[in-house]
Amino acid sequence: MAKYPQIKIINNEKYFFRFDMDLRIQHIILAATVVILVLSGMPLKFSDAFWSPYLYALFGGITMAPTVHKVTGAIMLLLFAYHIFWIFKVIYLDHYLPMKREGTYTIGRFAMRVLKLPMVPNLKDLKDIIDLMKYLFYYTNVRPDGDEYTWKEKFDYWAPFWGMFIIGASGLIIWNKELFTQIIPGEFINFCLIAHSDEALLAGLFLFIWHWYNVHFSTSVFPMGTVFLTGYLSEELMCEEHYEHYVKVMREEGYEKEILPPHGGGHAPSCSDHAPKSSQRQSSPENVSGTESSEQSVKEGGAAV
Amino acid sequence: MLSNFLRGPHWSFRALLVAFCLMPGWVLAADMGNCLLCHKYPGLSRIDEGGNMKLMFVNEDIFNTSVHSKVKCEGCHADITKIPHEPAKPVDCLAVCHIIEPTSEQKFSHKSVKTFMDESVHSKVDKEGNLKKFNEDMPTCKDCHDNPLFRPLAFVKKVRPGIADDAMGRCRVCHEKEDFIFRFYNHITTRLHKSRSPLNVAQACGKCHDDKELVKRHGLTVMAGSSYQETFHGKAANLLDEAIPDCLDCHVVKGKSVHQMYGNDDPRSSTHPDNRGAICNSIDCHPGASVQFANYQVHPMFDMDKSPVVYWFTTFFYVLTGGTLLPLMFILFFDLLRRLFPNASFTRRR
Repeated sequence: MAKYPQIKIINNEKYFFRFDMDLRIQHIILAATVVILVLSGMPLKFSDAFWSPYLYALFGGITMAPTVHKVTGAIMLLLFAYHIFWIFKVIYLDHYLPMKREGTYTIGRFAMRVLKLPMVPNLKDLKDIIDLMKYLFYYTNVRPDGDEYTWKEKFDYWAPFWGMFIIGASGLIIWNKELFTQIIPGEFINFCLIAHSDEALLAGLFLFIWHWYNVHFSTSVFPMGTVFLTGYLSEELMCEEHYEHYVKVMREEGYEKEILPPHGGGHAPSCSDHAPKSSQRQSSPENVSGTESSEQSVKEGGAAV
Repeated sequence: MLSNFLRGPHWSFRALLVAFCLMPGWVLAADMGNCLLCHKYPGLSRIDEGGNMKLMFVNEDIFNTSVHSKVKCEGCHADITKIPHEPAKPVDCLAVCHIIEPTSEQKFSHKSVKTFMDESVHSKVDKEGNLKKFNEDMPTCKDCHDNPLFRPLAFVKKVRPGIADDAMGRCRVCHEKEDFIFRFYNHITTRLHKSRSPLNVAQACGKCHDDKELVKRHGLTVMAGSSYQETFHGKAANLLDEAIPDCLDCHVVKGKSVHQMYGNDDPRSSTHPDNRGAICNSIDCHPGASVQFANYQVHPMFDMDKSPVVYWFTTFFYVLTGGTLLPLMFILFFDLLRRLFPNASFTRRR
């Protein structure tokens, strides 16, 4: 914990801890391998497209690009294996051992703790999605109060997870088809090809449209979110996407008085048309109107409504 | 003096004249009958009885790098004996031509091709010698062959295709005539690899085998060309891989000619279920592959009746892709809208 303080203050701006070095390196390797794999694989999937020979030539054409693709794929699979190891390490060191030490270990309690790991979807995510819909359709001006990891991030985690498993497994089989067909029938190679290329197209579109929109092109992060490099997220973005966690961390770290109002000022009394809703949601940030500065921004937020 | 000649009015015409005089002699070698007198003009054409435009232009440069460059025009167009001539009859590729085949020292002919073809799946007649149904669909020479150009390989420390001067130098030790050396070098190197790239072969076969009507009328199970393009082989062929297997690598029995292809139900056929394993695990392709490796569908069809499992498997991924991306695109679009027009509202009025 000491290594990564929850809040770093640089030039009077607060930055909130998100990802440690280990995860950031994992992400960079994943990002690099995905880009190379997509660029060296798509010309083959769309081999009759006008652009494919040019893009393929960039990776050495038909004689070299398959090797580039396989080597990069192998690196990604090693990363996948490491990530699995990393999950077990986290579960063992941060959950299993402490429970054993405290003597609170039972299978049931342990399972509950594992189910509360940050990447596991929960009911709060479903509620956030519904709240987001209300927000997007101008039904309310309150953005959902995301927890430490929002449903978008969990989606962005599990989609590549499933993708790497499907694409990696099918890729390994296609790569070593002579070996695998000693056991499995040859028709299976057909399915592997379909799964490999169709799932890759899905993954590529998902990452380069959805994920890049959220971390690059969206107006709040454009031209690029920096959390994947620094591991720390700015206070503004923290309020926008992870308000519930933001309030929790601010309290834990003793900045209770400096908590900013949520995005859109939705919790402020001035937003009267959703009064019952906001009063119901008062539970966490009742201190919002406590400080002068936040009152100011509440007014601004309210005026915008 | 030459430069003076090239100046002044009509210089381009004079330049052409000079170029014509300087042309190497072998270029005109095949044109003993002086056919190029007319056929050298690019616009030479006519509308035939069927209303089709026929281009009669012969590009000498291209013709002279083709495998038939030593054959005189009259060698194939035997019906033409005088100039000007009547509309030429279609060429009979089985005609005995004037060229002497050097190993047998007999006049050369493609006649043996016909014996092979009559035995093969592409023959117009069945085993009893009766004409097959729809025999007019069966390929004749010119459905697959044009006048192939030389595709010279390069030898002697070179990787680019084309004439290797070092290799030509070796020829010159014994052989004298430049024309002969040029032609034999090209002839031999062309024959050492396929005269068409895998993509060309697939396209040639696809002319008929991707024709929906034709495939249906002959009761064929797959659209061979388009389904080939769904596999790695076909995709690599699209990207101009020369070493990737094309139609002929699997469908022609090893050591035989392309004219001796048989149907899948013929035990002589390389693609007969009993023989398939041996194609895939040949030493050049997938050595060590098991026999069941050959169960791989090299012609996968996205067709509910023909390959239901492939159909539903592919459909699953279509649905998965649409089901994942469409809702996300929907959210993305409205998120962008919400950011661009933060104050718009349906419910609240100001």
